[in-house]
Amino acid sequence: MRGNTRRRVGVLVGLSAATMLALTSCAGSPAAAPEAEQLELSDEPVTLSFTWWGNDTRHAATEEIIAAFEDEHPNITIEPQYTDWAGYWDKLNTSVAAGEIPDIIQMDEKQLSTYAANGVLADLGAYSSILSTEDFPAATLGTGALDGTQYGIPVGVNSYTIIANQTILDQYGIDLPDDESWTWDDFVDVSEEVASASGGATIGTQSWGFEDGGLNNWLRQNGSALYTTDGGIAATEEDLAGWWEFLLEATEGGATPDPAATVERESGGLAESFTATNASAFGPWWSNQVQALRDASGQDLVALRVPGTTDDSAYYKPSMFWSSSAKTEHPAEVATFLDYLANSEDAADLLLAERGVPANEKIREYITPKLDEVNQTVVEFLDSLSVGDAPPATPPGGGVIETIIDQHTTAVLFGEMTPDEAAASFLEELQTALDDAAV
Amino acid sequence: MSALGELRTLKGGSAPKGRRQNKAAYLFLLPWFLGLAVITIGPMISSLYLSFTKYNLLSPPKFTGLTNIERMIEDERLHHSLLVTFQYVFISVPLQLALALLLAVVLDRGLRGLAIYRSVFYLPSLLGASVAIAVLWRQLFGYDGLVNQVLAWFGIEGQGWISSPDTALGTLMILNVWTFGSPMVIFLAGLRQIPTMYYEAASVDGASRWQQFWRITMPMLTPIIFFNLILQIIGAFQSFTQAFVVSGGTGGPVDSTLFYTLYLYQRGFTSLDMGYASAMAWLLLVIIGAFTALNFWASKYWVFYDDQD
Amino acid sequence: MTRTDLPTEPAPVTEWVVTGEPIEDIRDRRRRRAAMRKPFTSILRHVLLIAAAALMLYPVIWMVVSSLRPNELIFREPGIILDSFEVSNYTDGWNALSYPFNVYLLNSAIVVIGSIIGNLVSCSLAAYAFARLEFAGKKWWFAIMLVTIMLPIHVVIVPQYILFSQLGWVNTFLPLIVPKLLATDAFFIFLMVQFIRGIPRELDEAARIDGAGHPRIFAQIILPLMVPALATTTIFTFIWTWNDFFSQLIFLTKPSLYTVPLALNAFQDSQSSTDFGQLFAMSVVALLPIFLIFLFGQKYLIKGIATTGIK
Repeated sequence: MRGNTRRRVGVLVGLSAATMLALTSCAGSPAAAPEAEQLELSDEPVTLSFTWWGNDTRHAATEEIIAAFEDEHPNITIEPQYTDWAGYWDKLNTSVAAGEIPDIIQMDEKQLSTYAANGVLADLGAYSSILSTEDFPAATLGTGALDGTQYGIPVGVNSYTIIANQTILDQYGIDLPDDESWTWDDFVDVSEEVASASGGATIGTQSWGFEDGGLNNWLRQNGSALYTTDGGIAATEEDLAGWWEFLLEATEGGATPDPAATVERESGGLAESFTATNASAFGPWWSNQVQALRDASGQDLVALRVPGTTDDSAYYKPSMFWSSSAKTEHPAEVATFLDYLANSEDAADLLLAERGVPANEKIREYITPKLDEVNQTVVEFLDSLSVGDAPPATPPGGGVIETIIDQHTTAVLFGEMTPDEAAASFLEELQTALDDAAV
Repeated sequence: MSALGELRTLKGGSAPKGRRQNKAAYLFLLPWFLGLAVITIGPMISSLYLSFTKYNLLSPPKFTGLTNIERMIEDERLHHSLLVTFQYVFISVPLQLALALLLAVVLDRGLRGLAIYRSVFYLPSLLGASVAIAVLWRQLFGYDGLVNQVLAWFGIEGQGWISSPDTALGTLMILNVWTFGSPMVIFLAGLRQIPTMYYEAASVDGASRWQQFWRITMPMLTPIIFFNLILQIIGAFQSFTQAFVVSGGTGGPVDSTLFYTLYLYQRGFTSLDMGYASAMAWLLLVIIGAFTALNFWASKYWVFYDDQD
Repeated sequence: MTRTDLPTEPAPVTEWVVTGEPIEDIRDRRRRRAAMRKPFTSILRHVLLIAAAALMLYPVIWMVVSSLRPNELIFREPGIILDSFEVSNYTDGWNALSYPFNVYLLNSAIVVIGSIIGNLVSCSLAAYAFARLEFAGKKWWFAIMLVTIMLPIHVVIVPQYILFSQLGWVNTFLPLIVPKLLATDAFFIFLMVQFIRGIPRELDEAARIDGAGHPRIFAQIILPLMVPALATTTIFTFIWTWNDFFSQLIFLTKPSLYTVPLALNAFQDSQSSTDFGQLFAMSVVALLPIFLIFLFGQKYLIKGIATTGIK
């Protein structure tokens, strides 16, 4: 009896273990891409899953778009799945591991190549009979392509910018810098000026060392880039060390606050930032964050070009992409919905600039007059930039870049590493991440 | 000798009885056996297997033998995260338990408004690791937080407690101690398991409250203290959410709050290195297992059970 | 044994079970004696407790105050002095997501109640076996039970997800409830084992003389005596499940099935704006049920052997 029970339990355990092992190996094998001419819309009811990250405003706007689309296509049902940024990737990774890839995926630039390289994403070129991309500028569209295959349709575009608080500058009688000509040294000087004029009550500028935007701009101004076009690292140890050296000097000189204050606000996100709480005169942000900052601050915020901008160092960064599952059973319907998201004026009316200023130029023109004042100035700002080619795409495994930058900047600011050590360690860690992903 | 005493000698005796208890035991354990076989063991064995693979979640795992273990031996961040975790476990768990026990005894009986006090002290534990906790914690220990405001009254200039590498871990320990409500509740329940009769007898004999506490309360409570100790140690070793939320997932500043499971999560879900994360998880299991076993061994010397002969 | 020489181990329970002086009498006497030496120490105790409570509560009060402030002022104006009273965070927050907030409260309630029932039934059964029965391999099974709670969730969630997705259970509450019915929350088994071991064995033996089998001993002797452990399990399961974000995030994808933690998280986006006013307002709403349940449910926590009385 006793042995029996034991055996039975043993069998159960063995069974479940065997299933688990089998299951873990069934995920994400690339499916053959459907040929363009095969796309045929079904008359039967079709359900598609659509996943995105964002806040409640985005959820509401997106659900309205879904409703409008379903009105036009009564046999297609779109099932929304949404969550915040951090939870989004945990969830997407887990469901991909189980072979359940959502049909339509909101994708981030840093993750696109990783998912594409693992065969998760569909070749959108195969959808071209339904999904038109002709209103997208080639350079912008190219940011969603890897080795000539289109994996993502860019949704909106941003540019890195320095936000200045005009109200604070006026208060201390400091002129708004001329962003056509200012250099990084000018930027640091005026920040120090604010800090000393206020007796330390107001901070000069927030640090720009916590994401790849600051680093990318610096590298491009030095004629370099973060990555090479063939998926390697282009940044040199010298450029990186220079970047951290300058950040460190800015902190020691009082242009940026002490490291602990910087780190505290960085982990607090936009709402608790110095800019949003009117505690600093300047802050580095992406152009699509201007509206949220204005709402939070209630003061007069102005978007300025990044200091030291050269002819083509500025660039448009796609805010996000629309991608599709390589395994979708309904490519024609997915293409129809993607086309609606990318090219329809009705969808644009509902979304406005919520996902950034539209990358689709025709839609951008159409929607600009309908935007509110703040977003119109953002569009103006973007239009006024002379932008160069988009930086080479993040190679597979590069999704960890923000973590690595954050780590090294913090270490430099707290004096745990010298800029030179940080540069060497940064290159080593990033290279390891890329190598790991490549195998 | 009473009839009860005679019955005792029968216990665990003859073969037929032993068999009957086997059957009864397995019946009582049936749901748990089912859960173990169907839900628990499979994923555990999977993760053990994944420890020996390279697995990025998006493509099938590839067997790589002992590579992950070799990498773990050389991984300095892993060693650092172990150090952080050990500090956290061995400082915050005893503090939290002591405070929980103290307040459980104070709030056990004989005070007006006990229900309110208990609920208020329990409130922080209810907040758990909600999305609001990071904001709330900055309101206490941030630059403009309450702690610095109070220090300013005394003319002391504060600092950013949460974001200085020297104090960040300390604030997380305080956060853990702050949620002492959970072990307190278990202590409260345990206190009520102690028959009042013991105290009656003792106070009739003129024993002071202090004596009663050490001679009755503490020995009778040892099984519960033991339970709380095991539970809190396992919980603290696996501590993740609070560090994740407060540091924004980085384990910063300068890795000063890089808990082991936070690093494990970063490897598994941010770097998409689930094979390595699984190997890390099994190392953690071995560590926790060793400490738990040690605790069980030591419990023979200080835990008193009423059902022992 | 002289009475002044207190035993380090409490006297055998049989003594007081058998001597059986009416418990109520003794308790009254004790209460009267306690009442006499009160005033001063009692006030001191209250002052200390209130001070401690204020410290514990500051963040919570700050959250409640912030939930009544206009969103843009929350981080611009520190302190907990309220100069405006903005109820709109509550009314707007309630309807800010795809469904009104009561849908998420109800979903959470379903998961919580299912989990509580599951844990109470399955864990107490298993705990009885571990605490009271002799069976083959008991020590090993107990060790295995403890080992199952030592792996961090992050590495078992992926295989678990695959398992449940093969069963077709993803996007239902089943992956959140069924494991509890099968006693996978082994913490509670261990908790109950510790409590049952505190119940004198003589009580079981007495029932056995009357011819009771294990099911009857379990149901009629042990269960009523472990009410505090059951109450603890209930409260903990409630809170852990109510606040559990990660597994609910992974297993529930349909917004109509979202639970409170998922709904709260849907308010935030660290990259752009988070409406903290509404987030805090709904956090307060989410906090209320567990607070009330604890406030009114705690009397069962303290219903121990001492109060149920032993015949």
